[in-house]
Amino acid sequence: MKRRTVNIILVLYLIVVWAAVIFRIDRFPITWVPMYSVYKPSETISTSVRDKAALRKGLRVTHRDGSISYVSYKDLNIPKPNFRRLYGSRIFGHDPPKHKQGNTALGSVNRWVRGLDDNERNFSVDWEWRMFWTLNKTLQFEPADPKFIIRMESANQKRVYRKADLLKGDTSKVEIQTNQAVIDWQDQWIKRWKHGFL
Amino acid sequence: MAFCKSTSRTWNQFFFTGFSGESLGLLRMYIGIGLLLFHTYQFATVLTLNPMGAMYYFIEPIWYFKLLGIQYHVPALSFVMYAILMGATITMILGKNTRTSIVVIILCIFYLKGVRDSFSGDVHHRYIIPMQILFLFVLSKCGQVHSRDARQRRNPGGVQEWEASWPIKTMQLYVALFYFWSVIAKVRVSGWVWFAGEGRIQEVLIHRSVRGGFNDKGEILTNWLGFELAQHPELIHLFGILVLAFELGFPLLLFIKSVKLRLAFILGVTTFHIATFVLMHVNFILIPFVYLIFFDLVSIHAWLKARAHQILGRRPAPEG
Repeated sequence: MKRRTVNIILVLYLIVVWAAVIFRIDRFPITWVPMYSVYKPSETISTSVRDKAALRKGLRVTHRDGSISYVSYKDLNIPKPNFRRLYGSRIFGHDPPKHKQGNTALGSVNRWVRGLDDNERNFSVDWEWRMFWTLNKTLQFEPADPKFIIRMESANQKRVYRKADLLKGDTSKVEIQTNQAVIDWQDQWIKRWKHGFL
Repeated sequence: MAFCKSTSRTWNQFFFTGFSGESLGLLRMYIGIGLLLFHTYQFATVLTLNPMGAMYYFIEPIWYFKLLGIQYHVPALSFVMYAILMGATITMILGKNTRTSIVVIILCIFYLKGVRDSFSGDVHHRYIIPMQILFLFVLSKCGQVHSRDARQRRNPGGVQEWEASWPIKTMQLYVALFYFWSVIAKVRVSGWVWFAGEGRIQEVLIHRSVRGGFNDKGEILTNWLGFELAQHPELIHLFGILVLAFELGFPLLLFIKSVKLRLAFILGVTTFHIATFVLMHVNFILIPFVYLIFFDLVSIHAWLKARAHQILGRRPAPEG
């Protein structure tokens, strides 16, 4: 390679990596390094408490024939930490951090580049539909099957602390919230079934 | 005109001087050794799956999986890809079909990272720096020194200084900018409050220590040290300023000539990554292996070689 070619490569490389930063592009292997960047000041902090037994048991699902069973990480053949996120976040409609980073304080230029209106989100995912698609497809259930999953349920316990109490080392003042997610299959999704979400 | 000349001189001085072909070849070897451990640590969760088990349909495929229409995971394939990845990393270290080996490594990482990050949509950033380094190795002549390839194909000209320097200097620049950009991201998204004593650092400390639960007496079960630290906002504020200073100041490392000062800076950064891992479970613990790019490895390699010979009770072979 000639030195002139190397110079061209370097200039192009620097343009690409800086463009990723300016336009907030976070697509591997380029990034604007948004990890842990999102912070919204608040008085409280809420933390999910891990219920290992419930996680091992899995999501409670209802099949089209009315039977009830549990779907665990072993049934889906995915790592435990990933299942924990399906169980405790996605079914509740909570986005992964990458989406939060991409949606927060996007700025007018980056909204314009992406063709987004003022209140439009950069990342917007219908997690309910995806949960049904993912679980049913993985377990090889088609919409007409009696075993097709039509309802999913999950529960998690959250502990809400006031930061002021925690800073005094007082962990006794805690509000315990039990959240339950129940999501139902919608027949209008059948149109999407063949294509998935690609 | 004078400005153009000066810019050109600075550009050439920065990118095209400072390293020999030997440095580049050794860097390839040592980064490769680091990658062996890094790959295993990164993909360990995928390797716990049943290779003959269910084929999981991804809930949020990574962007290139969407582009290629990859919707589900073939577990056995991940094991094959991991084996190929490790094999290619070893051939990269040995310098056997170096360029092909690195391209294979890149493809395997794309696949395995894609799988790991598509299970639940959590995209991790730990491979970004290693991937940039691998990309620059592909474009470089790193396979022409300290390699099997070099023994087979005699290259009388060797690798010139400018040819060896630009890939290493570009790697250094990328890593320095990576840390610098992280400040830009924090300020853009959250403002300067991120660095405050009662800001993001404190929040993560509390979050990561509380999530493990409490015993009957109300004591933290895991990570009590993080919880203790969270109760001292003035100390956290100091750490916040330190984080800000070291991330903003990282590009200065490119201009430090003294090896001792460089080493001190790198040790500081490594301590930072260990501390964030222990206190906040921020999993960049193995990333410091890439900091090898900030040193000329020729003398380090010679020292290690002499030590190895000493331990094995053999004399080092004469040079040449």
